[in-house]
Amino acid sequence: MSQVQQSQETFSYDDDIVKKFTLATLVWGGVAFLVGILAALQLAAWQLNFDLSWLTFGRLRPLHTNAAIFAFGGNAIFAGIYYSTQRLCKARLFNDTLSKIHFWGWQLIIVAAAITLPLGLSQSKEYAELEWPIDIAITVVWVIFAVNFFGTLARRRERHLYVALWFYISTIITVAVLHVVNSIEIPVSWFQSYPVYAGVQDALVQWWYGHNAVAFFLTTPFLGLMYYFLPKAANRPVYSYRLSIVHFWSLVFIYIWAGPHHLLYTALPNWAQTLGMVFSIMLWAPSWGGMINGLLTLRGSWDKVRTEPVLKFMVVAITFYGMATFEGPLLSIKSVSAIGHYTDWIIAHVHGGTLGWNGFLTFGMIYYLIPKLYRTELYSKRLANMHFWIGTVGILMYLIAMYTSGFTQSMMLRAIDAETGKLVYPDFVETVVRIIPLYWARAVGGILYLAGFLIMCWNVYKTCQAAPKKQPVEVFRAPAMPAEEVGGHWHRRLEGWMPTFSVLAFLAILVGSAIEILPTLVAHTYTPVTAGVAPYTALELAGRDIYVREGCYNCHSQMIRTLPEDVLRYGKPSLAEESMYDRPFQWGSKRTGPDLARVGGKYPDLWHYRHMLDPRSVTPNSIMPSYPWLFDAKTNFDGLNRKFAVMKSLGVPYTDDEVANASKAARDQALTIANGLRGDSPVKNLEDREIIAMIAYMQRLGAKR
Amino acid sequence: MNNSDKNNTNTNGGVEIFSTEKALLLDHNYDGIRELDHVLPRWWVWLLYATIVFSVWYSGYYMLGSGPTPEQELAEEMTRIEALKPPTNAGGLPEAASLVSALGDTSRANHGREVYLGKCVACHGDHGQGTIGPNLTDEFWIHGGAPTDVARIVAVGVPEKGMPPWGPLLSPDELTDLVVFIDSIKGSNPAGAKAAQGEKYDAKN
Repeated sequence: MSQVQQSQETFSYDDDIVKKFTLATLVWGGVAFLVGILAALQLAAWQLNFDLSWLTFGRLRPLHTNAAIFAFGGNAIFAGIYYSTQRLCKARLFNDTLSKIHFWGWQLIIVAAAITLPLGLSQSKEYAELEWPIDIAITVVWVIFAVNFFGTLARRRERHLYVALWFYISTIITVAVLHVVNSIEIPVSWFQSYPVYAGVQDALVQWWYGHNAVAFFLTTPFLGLMYYFLPKAANRPVYSYRLSIVHFWSLVFIYIWAGPHHLLYTALPNWAQTLGMVFSIMLWAPSWGGMINGLLTLRGSWDKVRTEPVLKFMVVAITFYGMATFEGPLLSIKSVSAIGHYTDWIIAHVHGGTLGWNGFLTFGMIYYLIPKLYRTELYSKRLANMHFWIGTVGILMYLIAMYTSGFTQSMMLRAIDAETGKLVYPDFVETVVRIIPLYWARAVGGILYLAGFLIMCWNVYKTCQAAPKKQPVEVFRAPAMPAEEVGGHWHRRLEGWMPTFSVLAFLAILVGSAIEILPTLVAHTYTPVTAGVAPYTALELAGRDIYVREGCYNCHSQMIRTLPEDVLRYGKPSLAEESMYDRPFQWGSKRTGPDLARVGGKYPDLWHYRHMLDPRSVTPNSIMPSYPWLFDAKTNFDGLNRKFAVMKSLGVPYTDDEVANASKAARDQALTIANGLRGDSPVKNLEDREIIAMIAYMQRLGAKR
Repeated sequence: MNNSDKNNTNTNGGVEIFSTEKALLLDHNYDGIRELDHVLPRWWVWLLYATIVFSVWYSGYYMLGSGPTPEQELAEEMTRIEALKPPTNAGGLPEAASLVSALGDTSRANHGREVYLGKCVACHGDHGQGTIGPNLTDEFWIHGGAPTDVARIVAVGVPEKGMPPWGPLLSPDELTDLVVFIDSIKGSNPAGAKAAQGEKYDAKN
C-alpha cells in the first residue's frame, strides 16, 4: 500500500566492499592462527625460537594478538557492519571511495604491523604495541570508517536505528577515544616513542584501554553482528526489545570502568582497584542480557540449529560469550584474581572469548554471507559441519589444557608449607616443568582449530567458484525516511535521532573514564620525588629499551603483588614510586617466567651474561629463548642524548649536563661492566654490545640508589 | 525468503512467529528482522540488582568503612607465616656440633646432592667444579672452609658477589645435608675445575 502512497527511491548496496573485507578476514585469520600455534609450540619447545630475533616468542606474541584482534576480528567486523548497516538503513554506503580507502588503509596498517612487530618496534603496551606512525594511520583510517558509517546513517531511509546499529555506534566512538588517549606519546625517532604516562598512570591508562579493547572491539561490535545475523539466519524475531535497551545502556556504561581488574593487588591505588572489581561484578547481568536475547531468539527453532551450520556456530559462539562474561566478573573478585592472574587461567579465559565467541560468530557470519554475496548455495554443508566439530573439539582441548595448566601452576606457586612457612616450590622453573605437557595439548587444540578454519576456506573457495558468472547489480526500492512520529516511548523516539543517540553513547563511556583516569593524571602525588628512586642512567635506559624491544614483558612481570606468595618469592611488594620513571610501564600481565621487579643484585653480572646467551646453562629446564644477537648488536649510544632530552621534557629530573653527556656516561658505565666480564667472555669490544646495556638494566631493577 | 530486501511492504518478512507471541510482536521491521517485547526475565533483573547491592556494600566497606587494605591483609598474613618458621639458632643455621657429626653420612649427602642440583649447579657447576661461582672441590676457600663457614655463607650469601642468601629457602636440616654433600665432593677433582681462589683451608688446624 505504502508503495502507492509514497514516491519510491531506488538504490543498490555496495557488496563489493563486503566481499573484500570477508576475504581479508580469511587471509588474516590464517596468519593469526598460524602465528598463535607457533607461539604455543615455542612454550612447549624452546628450540622453536630458532635463536632468531624476529621469531622469538616475545616478538611473536604481540603479532599474534594484533593479528587475531585487529586483522581477523577487525576485518570481520567491517565486513559485517558494512553488510548489515546498508540493509538496516536501506541505503548504500555513504561513499565508495571512503570504503576503499578504509579497506586498503586497514590492510596496509596490518602489513606494517606484521613487519614492525617481529623487528621489535614495539611500545610494549598490550594490543597497542604499534609505534607512533602506525598509531596515526590507525586514527586516520578509523575516522574515515566513522565518516562512512555515520554518513550512511545520515542518509538512511529507515527512521529508527535497530539495536545492532546502537552497538556499532558505541564501538566506533569508544574505540576512537580509547586509541587516541592511550596512544599519546612523544616520538624519539621514526620508530620509537615514549608515552606521556609513566608507571602507575601508564598502567591504569593501558588497562583502561586493554580491557575496553576487549569490550568495544571484541564484544560490542560482535553483539551488533549477532543482533543482525542471528535473527536473519534463524528467521525468528528478536526475543526482547526492552532487554536490548536495558542491556545495551548498562553494558556500555559499566564496561568502561572495569579496566583496573587487571591490576588487583598491584601498586595501583586501592580505591581504583575496588572500583575495577565492583564494576566488573555489575557487568555480569548486562553481559548476559546479550546472551539471553541471542539464545531465546532461537526458542522453538532448535530443530534448525541441528541442521544449519550458520546457527550451530552462532549458538556455540553465544554460549562461549556467556561463559566468558560469567568468568570475567568471577576473575575480578580479588581473591580469585590472586589465583588466576599472571597464569594460564587468563589465557584460557581470553581464548574462550576469542576462539569461541569471536571466531565462531565470525565463521557463522561467513557461512551466511558467502552464499548471499555470491547468490548461490554453500558448496558443502557437510564440510561446514566438519569444521564445526573439529573447531569445537579444538577449543575444548585448548581450554581444558590451559585451565589445568593455570590452576596447577598457581597452586604450586602459592603453596606455603604449613609447618615451616616456606614456599613448597621455591624455584619457579619447577612449576614450569610441570605444565609443559599441557602446552603441547594446547598447541594440538590450536592446530585443530586451524584445521577447521582451513576446511572453511576450501568450502568458501568452492562456493565462489560455483557462483553464477553474471551477477547483475540488484536494485532496491524504498520511500525516503519517514518523518518523526509524534509521541510514543522516549527511547523509541531516541532511536530516530541519530546524533543525540550517538552523543549519549559517548557520554555513557565518558563518565567512568573520567572518574577513574583523571585523578591519577591530575594528582601526581602517587609518585613523590623524595622516594629515593633515581631516574635511569643512560646505559640502563638503553638496556630498558632493549628489554621493551624483545618483549620481555610478555613472560616476566615487574610487579610484586601484596600477596604472601609473591612476597616470599620475590621480596617486598612493589611501590608506585618504584615505577615512576617507567615509560612505558613494564608490570606485565603473565608470568611464564618469574617476576623481575627485584632481580637487580640477585645474581652477578656473569650470571646474566650466561643466562641471556643460554638460559639452560644456569637454569636447567628453563624454557626461555636464547638471545645470542644481544652479543653481536651494538648499543645505540649516540641516540641516548636525544632519549634523555625527551625524558627530560616529560618531567624526568635530568640536568642539562646529564642530557648533554648521556652518551658518554653510558659508554663509561658499559666499560666498567664489560671489564668485570672480560675474563669470561670471548666477545671483542664487549662494552659496545647490547648485552652490557641489558645487564645494566637488569641489575638496576628494584635497587634504590 | 529474503524478499524483504526487495521491498518494504512485508508485514512480518516471513519470520516464523508462534501464536503465543503475536501479542508481543512489535511493529518494528528492519530488513525483515522483527522484535518481540518479552518482559525482562525476573532472575536476570534480580541478578542485576544483587550485583549492584553487593557492589555498593563492598565499596562502602573497603573504601569508606573499616575494611582492611591489601597492605594490612598482607601484614597479617606475613605475621602468621613468620610465626610458623621453626625457632632456630643464628637465623636458621644448624648447630656446629651436629653439623660436624653429620659429615660422612651418605644418606644425608645424597639428599644434599638433590638440594645442590636444585639450587647451586647454576653457578658452581654440576660437579662442584665452579663456573660463575668458585670451585667447591678444592682446598681453597674465599670465606673459610670449615663446615660452619660453608653453612653460614650458604645461609647469608655474599650478595655483593652475586651469591644469594639461601637461608630463607632452606630448612636447617637441608642446610646440613647440603654441607655434608659439599664435604663429600672434597678432592674429587672434577673435569674443568676452576682455578683455586681464596685461602687454603686445612681441617686439622
